[in-house]
Parts: sequence; C-alpha cells; structure tokens
Amino acid sequence: MFYKETGQFKSRYKDELAAFPLFEDKIGIGILGVLTFLVIPLFGLPGLNYEFAMGAIMIPCMIFIIMTLGLNILLGFAGQISLGTGAFSGVGAYAFYKFITIFPDINIIIALVLSGLVSAVVGVIFGLPSLKIKGFYLIVATLAAQFFLTWAFIRVAWLYNYNASGAIEGPNKEMFGIIMIGPQSAGMTRYYFVLVTLIVLTWLASNVIRGRIGRSWMMIRDMDIAAELIGIRPLVAKLSAFAFSSFYIGIAGALMVFFWLGAAEAESFDINHSFLYLFMVIIGGLGSITGSYMGAIFVWVVPVLIKEVGKSVFGFDAFVMENFSTILLGAMIIIILILEPHGLARLWQITKQKLRLWPFPY
Amino acid sequence: MNEKAPKIMMEVKNINLRFGGVVAIQGVSFDIHEGEIRAIIGPNGAGKSSMLNVINGFYHPQEGEIWFDGQKRPSMEPYEVAKTGIARTFQNIALFKGMTTIENVMTGRQLQMNKNIFWQMLRYGPAIEEEVQHRKRCEEIIDFLEINHIRKTPVGSLPYGLQKRVELARALAMEPNLLLLDEPMAGMNVEEKQDMSRFIVEVNEEFGTTIALIEHDMAVVMDLADRVVVLDYGKLLADGTPKEVQSNQAVIDAYLGVPH
Repeated sequence: MFYKETGQFKSRYKDELAAFPLFEDKIGIGILGVLTFLVIPLFGLPGLNYEFAMGAIMIPCMIFIIMTLGLNILLGFAGQISLGTGAFSGVGAYAFYKFITIFPDINIIIALVLSGLVSAVVGVIFGLPSLKIKGFYLIVATLAAQFFLTWAFIRVAWLYNYNASGAIEGPNKEMFGIIMIGPQSAGMTRYYFVLVTLIVLTWLASNVIRGRIGRSWMMIRDMDIAAELIGIRPLVAKLSAFAFSSFYIGIAGALMVFFWLGAAEAESFDINHSFLYLFMVIIGGLGSITGSYMGAIFVWVVPVLIKEVGKSVFGFDAFVMENFSTILLGAMIIIILILEPHGLARLWQITKQKLRLWPFPY
Repeated sequence: MNEKAPKIMMEVKNINLRFGGVVAIQGVSFDIHEGEIRAIIGPNGAGKSSMLNVINGFYHPQEGEIWFDGQKRPSMEPYEVAKTGIARTFQNIALFKGMTTIENVMTGRQLQMNKNIFWQMLRYGPAIEEEVQHRKRCEEIIDFLEINHIRKTPVGSLPYGLQKRVELARALAMEPNLLLLDEPMAGMNVEEKQDMSRFIVEVNEEFGTTIALIEHDMAVVMDLADRVVVLDYGKLLADGTPKEVQSNQAVIDAYLGVPH
C-alpha cells in the first residue's frame, strides 16, 4: 500500500484488536463515508444518468452486499455450502410483507429485524441436515429447501394475501413522518435507509467474526475434528452459522423487494438468484468481508456497465448487449478464478503486499 | 516427580475396542498419576492412537471403564471431554489452516469465553474485555513457546516443526489438567526435537500439567517419561519405569522380533 504500519505502535491489545488499527485506514473509511453519504446522493455516479445510478447500481449493489455477507458467513466462514440463498431471501421478503400488512403500524426497522429472524428460523430448520452430511450432499439438501420454498411462495396464497397477481407489493408506509417504502417513496430516502442498514450489518458481522462465535465457525470449517476436541459443539456452531447467515439473507431479501424492486413474485427468489449470490461470494473471496463487497459490486456492476457502454458508445441493440454482457461476465469469472481461485479479496491483498515493496521487488 | 503416594488422575480399566471384526484394543488397563509424564509406546498398529481416541471420547470402547479424577466417567462426546480439562495434539497436524497463529491459539480459549451473541455483535464492554483478557493469556503461552515472530502468519504457510509447536500452544491455551500428545516429535530434526523436549519438560514442571505422550523416538521417551506403557497388537505388554521396560524381554522381542 502507499502506507505502512511502521511507527504506529500499539500499547494495548484493545487498540490492536480494533477494526481499523491503522490511521490511514481510518482516513480511507472516512473518505468512503463522505462519498456514499454526500457526494453520490448529490451528484450520482460520473457519466451515468442520476436515476439510473441510484436505482440500478447503488441501491441493488448495497442490497446484494448484504446478501453476499450473509452467504459468506455460511460458506466462507463456517464452510457449509448452501444453494438455498434465493429461497431464504424470499422468506425474509414474504415475512416482511406479512408483518407490514398484518400490523400496519409496525415500525419498519422492527419489521425488518423480525423478518430476518423468521428467515433465521427457516435457515436453521433447513440447516439441520448439515449435522450429518457435508459437501455435495449438503448442496442437495439445501436445494430441497430452495425448491420447496419457491413452491410455497406460489402455492400458499396466504403469503401474498390472496391477491390475484400472486405478487407481493410494498404499500406506502412511513417512518417518523417520511414515506420509506411504496410507490410514493423517494429514491433518496430508500438509498439512505439501505446504506445505514448495510453499514450496521457489516459492523455487526465483522464483530461477530472476530470474536468467539466467529472463531467457532472457522474452527468447524478448517478442521471439525480438532474443533470438537477443543470443546466446540458442531450442532451449535453449524446451526448458529445457518441462523446468522439466514438472518442477513432474509433482511437483504426484504430490502430487495421493498426498497428496490417495489414488487416481486416467487421467481425473484428462484435458483438462478441462488447461483448469482454464490458467484458473488466466490468471485469476491470466501471468508472475507471486503471480498463480499468486491464480489457483489463486480458481479452486479460489470454487466450493467457493459450494457450501458454498448448501448451508448457503440449503439448496439439492448437485446444483443444483454447476451453479450452475460458472455463477457462468464468469461471474466473464469479468468479470475483461474488467475486467483481465492477471489478478488486475495487479489487485492497480493496487490497491497506488492505495493509495500514497490518499486523494488526484493 | 512425586515419589510418595502419587495421586491417580486417570485410570483406564480393561478397555476393549473393536471395529467390526478387527480388535484394536484388548483388555488394556493402566493409570496416569497426577503430575507425571506418561509415555505410551509400541510398534505401529499397536493401538496407541486408538487409546488416546478412547480417552478423548472419539471412540467408545465396547467394554471397559475410564476413571477420571476419582470418578467413573460416563460415555462422553469429545466436546464434553474437552470440558473436563483434557487437551491433545495430533499425529498429523490438525491446525485450523485458514487462521493465523494467534487465532489458532485463541481457539484454545473458546471454552473459557462465554459472552453471548449480542455482546459479540457489539464487541464492546464485556465482550472486548474478555477478548483482551484471553489474548493476554495466549500471548504468554506464545512467549513461552517462542513463537512470537509468527504470531500473525497463517499457519498453513509455516514449516512443519513450527506447526507442531503452534498445535502445542493451542492445547496449552486450554490450560488442561491432562495433556495428550500424539507423536509430538514425529518428523522433526534433532534440534527441533530438543526444543520440543524442553517445552514438554517445562510444561510439566512449571504448570504442573500431567502429560501422556505417544512417541517412537526411544531416546526421547527414556529421557522424558516417568513411567512407560508398552502396547503391542492391542494388548498391554509392559508397564513400568523406563529402566524396567527397557530390560523387559517381551518388549525387546516385540521391537526386534523373535525367531520362530
């Protein structure tokens, strides 16, 4: 990096255990904060239409980061593979919908936390097979969750209040006098709400991961036999990972429908979405919070940008660009995984290592 | 070494362990005194590691009793055994490869830490105090084992000898009453063996930890151990001080072979 830890001595363990022990890191985070809280809401992203930048890039990106964080906790930190992410996000979305329609006066934050908890419970139930099976077999078990839940989203009409369209739709709903969700809500309020949620959830996740519970997940991931000998109960460690991960995924699902799409049907939670989130985690880097950010941004933004550039610069047809961006993204994923199987986070780490010595390689 | 009236810490009585038709351990009984270094030796396949696995709760013997601290132990799972203060290292290293040295050592403190998920999420107040307090203890152990310089290195990239040492550090972090070492010196060069022997003796003398170790290097065993158990084909061959065992004809036969 352009800076080093040289000269920054810590005399207390507490300082060393801080999230950003280096002074320069704190500056970097401050700059990011100013960018996301002031610059982007005011001016949008450079070279892009403001509405487009907010609605098609910033908000979905942040929601997908929460989703990726959730899946990364399960896959990257606890080592349990799941293909049910899409369905678990659906559980969060439908739960949120039921909470705000059954209790119209409920506070949005409370509804969001509750729907995360509902998703966590469902995650634990479908995580039970992980106690007995591992690897590929666990994938199949979570696949069952995926298919069963999307089936339920269509067949159980109670979930979408028996409406004719079969979709869940956000009614106008306010918090502290500001309309937060629904057709009349402003993009700006939703942006800030999602941004704050993302920051809070990232902070909580990084705390848990660095503490006792996070270590118990990594122990199970790296060597479950040794973990058990140190006194970790596999049952507790695995199911808590499923719960925590599904909590995040559920919240992300609710945010996705009510703070971004506005309305959704069961197909927003299908297996293709599970794969998309899995790509984000793997490309970003397993077991890394920075990686979750990078993966979600990369997988979401690159195709959008390719489409935009193709349309506005080369004047291609939107349909052609749609396919072209899929092909290009696929190729990039393969190239990245060949060059660096540990994802963008590791690539970033290596770059930082190299920059420490730059311009003298030895 | 405590010559007068040794207190028995652990006693295994008449252990029989079978896997299907294969008999791994057959009627083995021995005891471990408090504060001693007890070696378990024997040719390959003698059932030494199986014995440790029985003590650890990995294997549940079909017959036999285990007495620990004067009480008969019910059938336990490994994580329950860990709570009773038994730690161990493995023959083929079982470190958490994705974590750094300090994180690996910190995992040994898991059982002593108990702040719940809400404190963990906030990482503030009691949670961070607990973390710092255990970190201090781990740093002492890291100092003791002279692995300060690799504190923040991912253990996967460490050389073999150091990995073994980190594994010992992790076991020590549990502050066990009984420490089981499964071939702590396998694959080490002379210098590393000397270091490891020194650490084992120091752990035993300074912390008063009872140690049971499996080792193939006879010179090391004879030097370190207070008493030695010899197993062969799952049976108890001899039990006694290194001198007694060394001169035992059955042991010599088992190691060197006898003409038929």
